[in-house]
Formats: sequence, structure tokens, C-alpha cells
Amino acid sequence: MIRIAQLSCGAEYSGIQKEIERAADTVGAKIVYPEVSLDDILNVENKFGVKVASGDLNLAMARAVRIVENPDLADAVIVMTCFRCAEAAIIRSEIRKFIHEHSKIPVLSYSFTERTTAETLLTRMEALVTTVKFRGLLAREKQKGLTAGIDSGSTTTKSVIMRDNEVIGTGWVPTNEVLKSAEDAFEAALKMAGVKKEEVQAVGVTGYGRFLVGKHINAKLIQEEITVNSKGAVFLADAQKGAATVIDIGGMDNKAISVQDGIPGGFTMGGICAGASGRFLELTAKRLGVDITELGKLALKGDYHNVAMNSYCIVFGTQSLVNSLALGCKPEDVAMAACHSVAEQVYEQQLQEVEVKEPVIMVGGTALVEGLPKAMEELLQLKVRVPKYAQYIGAVGAALLVSGLLEG
Amino acid sequence: MAKVIVYPPTSMILSDLVERMGHKALVVSESVRKLATANDIQSPPLNVTPEEPKKGLRYAAVDVPSGVRGRMALIGPLIEEAEAAIVVEDPGWLTGCAGCNRTNELVRLLIRTKGVPLLDLAYPTDDAEARVFVQKIKTFLEALK
Amino acid sequence: MRITKYVITSSESDILPSDIAMKIYGSKYDVNVKETCFGVVVNGEEEVINALIEEIRSLDPAGIFIKDRGFPPGDPRRCRGRRGGGARPGFYMIEAEAKMLPMISRALAATGEVPAVPEKKKPLMPNKLEDIIKEGLI
Repeated sequence: MIRIAQLSCGAEYSGIQKEIERAADTVGAKIVYPEVSLDDILNVENKFGVKVASGDLNLAMARAVRIVENPDLADAVIVMTCFRCAEAAIIRSEIRKFIHEHSKIPVLSYSFTERTTAETLLTRMEALVTTVKFRGLLAREKQKGLTAGIDSGSTTTKSVIMRDNEVIGTGWVPTNEVLKSAEDAFEAALKMAGVKKEEVQAVGVTGYGRFLVGKHINAKLIQEEITVNSKGAVFLADAQKGAATVIDIGGMDNKAISVQDGIPGGFTMGGICAGASGRFLELTAKRLGVDITELGKLALKGDYHNVAMNSYCIVFGTQSLVNSLALGCKPEDVAMAACHSVAEQVYEQQLQEVEVKEPVIMVGGTALVEGLPKAMEELLQLKVRVPKYAQYIGAVGAALLVSGLLEG
Repeated sequence: MAKVIVYPPTSMILSDLVERMGHKALVVSESVRKLATANDIQSPPLNVTPEEPKKGLRYAAVDVPSGVRGRMALIGPLIEEAEAAIVVEDPGWLTGCAGCNRTNELVRLLIRTKGVPLLDLAYPTDDAEARVFVQKIKTFLEALK
Repeated sequence: MRITKYVITSSESDILPSDIAMKIYGSKYDVNVKETCFGVVVNGEEEVINALIEEIRSLDPAGIFIKDRGFPPGDPRRCRGRRGGGARPGFYMIEAEAKMLPMISRALAATGEVPAVPEKKKPLMPNKLEDIIKEGLI
């Protein structure tokens, strides 16, 4: 049984404690609370560096100290506090850093509201458990044999065929009917690779539709996208050793993952609104009358400063888009402003929750919209790597990981 | 007998002194009991469901964290019921129902602005202060009779 | 309605939690009792519990304290053995206040004039501090 230490403030009073425990239970984990004394809480500043006005945050910090001093007490940590609490946001981030710096225990950081459900937490919790349970599998650096990966995403379904560490076929279709789209993407990849379905030794599945698709095609590996994508990213970007940061701006949500030796050490997943996702870029392309594949190149010619754009909410973002075009702004400036706005939100809301260490690898279909990695580079003041097959990252990660299950 | 809200609303010392001097102490455990011993436990451990933060909107706006509003759903009705109050300075070790300082600030504000008789104190640090502490509470409570 | 109360003894009281438990076991009251490190937890019908705690108090009026509790004794939702270890958050407040109980007990038992407490020292006013610095420099 994987033990997840819960360091939190406000969960019981937000009515979501049951949801946390349900999510943990679903992934075969148990929530634990490291024992601390009253003196540990009162003297928390000596060991952690700060004491705050809210006692439950001091308790969470004292528990973090206890875990760092006794790493055998927990296999993983979740740090959860109320959304919109500034005091808690500071401490949540500091607890994450503290555990990251002083131990090897993976940490998940999350801010909740009363609407947070077990389903919202499930993928995150699953990833956390995977990093603990399948450390050996995640350490795999080479793909062997003939395997396939399918990434059943919210917007698109991707598939790859890999043979002896090389991608030999790819398939990409919009997600309509989940099963049909998966079959189509898989068929396309098989066709390009010139191999028959029966020849494929194992299939790994990830993405939103992973359970449905995985069951349907009898996949050998059904895995959430956080561990799979980070594995695929470091594999394709040739950054399997040492630290890396993976940014995946998806069609519906975003992931920021700090990786150490190919294994996620901390991550966030979310997005306040579709305004911070690939969906907004699609909408911009449509409005500008260009294909999504052309939006990035157009953006590279533009300057975001010339357009007032804020896609914090997709409705207001669309309004800014319409207004800017009505004011006669140049399409290239609008395209870049849209890229900047999406990048800025990911930077503001998610990259603050993980350790950003180089190389920074951007993956997912949105990474191919050239303006987006450029905007991210400007915000981070760092070079951003977009590996080949960036849009197939989940499928590659799944094909790579499932090959590890072929042995023994 | 007066209904006296104590702050911290979880204080053993204050609620004990109020009750032994013949008054009714309003404490948060009463609100917890209503939820935690209900027939229908939907949301263990406290049985605070996502409905409580919504009830807390009576005391704090929607952009106030859910943990504050959930706690206010427990403490707010006690403040409404209070006929007098004893408030002790924050001692720096409040946890659980009193573990959120934003909630505690709002609780103190609502108690102070309610306009009921109020006694302000600090926890004693020695015997002499303890004598004064107990004496002040005694005098305050006697005046409520 | 069934209610639950903590009965907490001051560490200086001659009454032990086990004495309280024995008194309850030998009494006419139909209540559940659970001994803990700092006292006992009693659970039963409200009027029964209220009558019982008055009797318990009489064992040591200044040294026994009562606290209301929302959860029944040993509730698995709150029991650390069943919930992955670690005290429930509210426990620390009881622990902190329990440390003050000997002082409160002595104050409750004391008779006679309440002594005047010297006013707490306040930080020096800046002008006074300035004078001291100047004096030190000369």
C-alpha cells in the first residue's frame, strides 16, 4: 500500500476530505498524517524557516519537517490548501520546495475549492502513485521490440509505432468518438510503419480516454498522462539524465512537470479556463481565417505588445480577439498576442508550482504553434526545446514504457 | 443565564469557566456534533459537505477561500446566537476549527461588531495573571446575570 | 440527544483519570466512558451527562475541567489509529490549554484579594532610545 502524506489546510472544512481519500483509495494508496508534537508546531520556524498566523499551516510545515527527517514515514506527499488563500499559497509552495530539496519523495501540490472532486484529483494521484510504484519501469530509457502507443486526448488522438528505439509510424486524428478515433489513429500509424496489428508486441495507452480505449484494445499498459508524457518528453528531447521541466499545453488542460532522471518529482495539472489552453489558439486561428498549423508562423512575424489581449477567461479572450480585429490590429500581432496570453497564464498559474530547471521541454500539439514556445522563452528568459514528434509525446511515452513490460 | 461565545471557539478553559459560572458557552463543537452525528454521513470526517462553504456565503463572499466559508458555516450561527462574548488574544497555537487565521479574524470582527457585552483578555503566563484572568471572567459573567 | 464531553484533570490534581473512570463505573449513570492520557471522554444523553459532570467536578472543583466534543468517543473518523496516524488538529489546542490548567486551578482555589499585576513592559519610545544611545556614546 502506497502511503501518501497529506499536508493540508482547509480540506475538511471545504468538504473535500472524502474526495481526497476516495481518489487515494482508487489508486491503491492510503492517506497518512505524520505524527508531530505541539512543540514541533510551536518551534516550526527554527526548522522550516517561518511560522505563520494560521495554525493548520504551521501543522502542515511541522509535518513536512518530520517527513524530511524521517523519509520512511511516507512514499509520496500531497500539499493541498484552499484556492485564493495567499498565506496558504506561499506556504504550499515553500513546503513543496522544502520536501523537493531535502528528500526524494515526490510531491503533488494542489489548491482546491469546495467543488474539487475525486475525479479531478484522480489523474494527479495516479501519477503520484506511479512514480512511487513503478520507479523501475519509469527509469527505462530505451524502447525495445515492436510496440505501439495511443494517446487518447480530449481534442486529438495520437498513435505511434516504435521499433528498437525509433518511431516508425505515426497517426493523428481529431477525437470524436473515443474508440473510433483511437482505432483510426492506430490504423494510420500501423499503415505508415508498414506493420500489421498482430505483429505489435504490446500497446500502451494514455490520455483522457485511456481506460475505455485500453480495455477495448486489450492494452498492456494503461497509464495517466503525467508520467507517460514526461517520459516521452525526456526521451525525445534526449534529456533522460538529470533535471528537466516539461510543459504540456493541452486542448483542455495544461501540465507542468519537473522531472529528475526521467521521473516526475513534482507537477501541476490544471488551467483556470480554456483560455489558457490549445482551445484558445484554435479559436484564434479560426477567427483569423488561417489553419492552426499556420498560426505559429504568422505569430512569429507579430508583436504582442500591439494588441491588448487577456485570455484569462475564454469568453473575455474571444472578446479581446474580436475587439482587436475590429480596431484594425494586424493578424500577425493578434496571433502573437494570443500565444503570449496562453503562455503567460501557464507561466503565472502553473510554472510557479514546480521547480523550473533547464532544459525546458515543450510538448503536445500546441508546442508546434511556433509563437507559443517563443512566448514561453520570453517569459522564462530561458531557451525552450521542442523535440521532434512533440505532438506524439504521450503515444511515444506509452510505447516506450510498455516495452519495459515485455521483459520478464 | 446568558449565551456566551468564547474565542477561540474551541477553548476548553473559557468554555469551562463560562459553564461553571452558570452560563451557556457557545462552542464550535456543538456545530460539529450536529453534522458529525447526523444519520446521513456524506462527507467524513466532519460531514462538512460542499454545501457548508455555500452556507458560509452568508458571512464571506465567494472569492473568500472555501475553508474560511466552511468554518464560518460552523461558527457564524454561534456568533448570531451570542448574548455576550469573551475574546482571548490569539496565542499562536490554534489548530483545527480555529486553525485558519483568516477565519479567526472574521470571527473576531463579527463578535466585536455585534454590540454584545465583551471581555477582552490574554492567556495568563503566571499565577498572578491567572488570578486576574479568572477574576475578570467571574466579574464579567456575574454582571450578565 | 447524546452528547460527548471531555473531563480533563489539571496535572497537579490528586484525582487521576482512572479515579474518574472508577467513579463513573460505580455510579448510577448509563454512559460510555473512555480513558485518555489527559482525562476521560464521556458520552450519553445530555441531561445524564450534565448531571454526571457536576458529580465529577465535585471530586476536585478547581482541578477538573470540562470541554464539549462534537465526535463520540473513539469515533473511527477521528481516531488516529484508523486515520493514518497523527493527532487530529484540535488535539494540540487541548494540549496547549492543559499546560495552563495548574495556574487556572490555583487561581480558582485562591481566596482573598487578587494581586495587582505589574503592567507588561512596552518597547522604548524612539526618543528615549535616542537619549540612551547618545548617553552611551558620550
